[in-house]
Amino acid sequence: MKNQRRHSPITIPLKIERWVGMALEKGWIEGDESGKEMLLRVLSEWPPFLLLPPFHRLPLRVGNVVELVGPSLSAKTHILIQVAISCILPKEWNGVHYGGLGRLVMFLDLDCRFDVSCLAQLLKHRIIQANGSSSKVHSEQNDGGLWTCHAKKKSSIAYDEELFALCLRRFLYVRCYDSFEFLATLKVSKLSYFTIYIAFRLQKEREACGISVHFLMIDSIGAFHWVDRACRPLPHEGNNRKSLSLQSVSETVVQEIRKLLLVHPMVVIATKAIIIGDKNSAKEVKWKLRKLSTPDITHVDNIKSNTQHVPYYEYMPSVWQSFVTHRIAIRPTGEHCAMGENKELSVYLSEWLLPPLKFSDKFAVLGDGTVILL
Amino acid sequence: MAPLKSLERQYPIIDSDFQNFCASHSIFSVEDFLIHDLYELTALAEPHPTSDRLKEGITQVLGIIDNQHQPWLNGMELLEDALRNKRFLSTGFEGFDLLLRGGFREGQLTELVGPSSSGKTQCCLQAAANVSVKHMGRVVYLDTGNAFSPQRIAHFMEQISDLHFKQAKDKILQKAMSSIVCHSVFDIFAMFDLLFQLECDLRSQIDNRDYLVRLLIVDSISSLITPVLGGIGSQGRALMISAGYLLKKLAHEHNIAVLVTNHTVGGDGGFCKPALGESWKSIPHVRLMLSRNHGSSICSVSILKHPAMASGKATEFVISEF
Repeated sequence: MKNQRRHSPITIPLKIERWVGMALEKGWIEGDESGKEMLLRVLSEWPPFLLLPPFHRLPLRVGNVVELVGPSLSAKTHILIQVAISCILPKEWNGVHYGGLGRLVMFLDLDCRFDVSCLAQLLKHRIIQANGSSSKVHSEQNDGGLWTCHAKKKSSIAYDEELFALCLRRFLYVRCYDSFEFLATLKVSKLSYFTIYIAFRLQKEREACGISVHFLMIDSIGAFHWVDRACRPLPHEGNNRKSLSLQSVSETVVQEIRKLLLVHPMVVIATKAIIIGDKNSAKEVKWKLRKLSTPDITHVDNIKSNTQHVPYYEYMPSVWQSFVTHRIAIRPTGEHCAMGENKELSVYLSEWLLPPLKFSDKFAVLGDGTVILL
Repeated sequence: MAPLKSLERQYPIIDSDFQNFCASHSIFSVEDFLIHDLYELTALAEPHPTSDRLKEGITQVLGIIDNQHQPWLNGMELLEDALRNKRFLSTGFEGFDLLLRGGFREGQLTELVGPSSSGKTQCCLQAAANVSVKHMGRVVYLDTGNAFSPQRIAHFMEQISDLHFKQAKDKILQKAMSSIVCHSVFDIFAMFDLLFQLECDLRSQIDNRDYLVRLLIVDSISSLITPVLGGIGSQGRALMISAGYLLKKLAHEHNIAVLVTNHTVGGDGGFCKPALGESWKSIPHVRLMLSRNHGSSICSVSILKHPAMASGKATEFVISEF
């Protein structure tokens, strides 16, 4: 029965449904746990967590699908990388508090623009920052000798490399040049997950919790939109053949991610590049008409009704839309601010679209990559 | 992707029985497998008398699919590859190199944007000259507007190589000149042809160090893409995005720095903005805006987009006259 008790949180709604229907089958109920036990187990196994801004308003849980929408140059990938770093950093390492999750990240790069030296630099910075603050505490506590302080500093620098490598190995990356590769990657993702798991087991990582993936990141989900839209293979041997189209690609993507989440609970974060349309209303109408006249394509959700939110054109098929549980929009405001030695920082605005909260935060990215709220 | 029929020779398990079973569920190729639920298919195979063989076949196809995607790499492997293979190629202009922390990066797609006569082609020619002389690399130059000038390249090369012995100098220049290959390209399909051919050549000569292409220039990519954009269908945009991905693939897989140029169009409020629209914006790694006052040899460049730098940084450099 031990196996039965390790349900992932996602299967729980399903389970409750069955619970009602099968209330008479006592054996099944007895074999399970009380609501309190379940809650405690879920909370301890997969505690909801708060992420850095702009995600800080709501706690996220595994099984959530978060969409980060914004136009080009709105720091989407940067935020993704910062979240990834928070995940791959350990909570504590050799007595220094890093406050990370100590878990793995799977990063699907559909934009093919990921720069690993960027990740490495930001990670190094976070490690040094944490070391710096802890060694300060250390020297204050020891009221002391220059020598101990120096020794501590030296040792923390020596450990840096090891920690740095450990963290980077937790970052798993694949790039996809087209929808075929994206689908192929997802299709065998469970297999890949297993291979990765075995590889980590063989390496005998120190922390046992460090081998589960916590985030599946997709940058960016609409990358192949135009190519898929134009893709109409000729009919061939039988008319009911499912063809590779925008619709079928999205359906399969959602289906495969869902299957993966059932077995390996994690948070999905996807960025989506959007075009903000606020000026040219004539163009808007033309666009809308064009979309409606193509029969196979999606619902046109023109999120324009709420003037407070950023208006943009939704181009992902509805099957993906309904898969998303949280949606945040970010955009540059065009304003600038100065912050210490950093001058001319761009100010960004983030808004929660799903759930539709009234929060909107202004934030900036400092020269060292830190995201701060204004 | 491959039709199942063609896989039979390599994988005997994909026999006619398996193909018939797949055909009855309108699956004819590996591509069709991608959009089908394989669990469902396995369940459908259950009542068949040869269900074990069919399931084995499905597992085999899954194995084939596993080879169709790029490999999973961890951060350390990525970093090692970046440090070893993705170097910076000097632009040939000192100030420009400083701004980019070394120059154009191998593995990346860099876009130069600017109005006409802002120095885009001069930058391309200078970079080509520099890479062939200093980095001993081959340069593939796709010229769409008959703007390629060998005289200008020779001029830049002479400035770079400060040898005094005429004979040695000539030899070096000759070798450098022959390592720049220029193709005239007038439509996007010709570009696709050339790029696929290049990909083929690079893949087959992967160990041949003589054929090390370091820089690929498309001057200008916008004049190839603009004619296919517009209209009702999405074909034009699909071609544009595909071209972008092909260039990025070449850049990353073969460690080539790709340099493309784009013109500007009038935007809101009279400001110039890069052509090719919003969908193209997500393609290049680095976008640089060039501008030059009329008749001046001082060119200013500012960063519109960079993976590691804030946009807005700018510098100036001088393009030498004849």
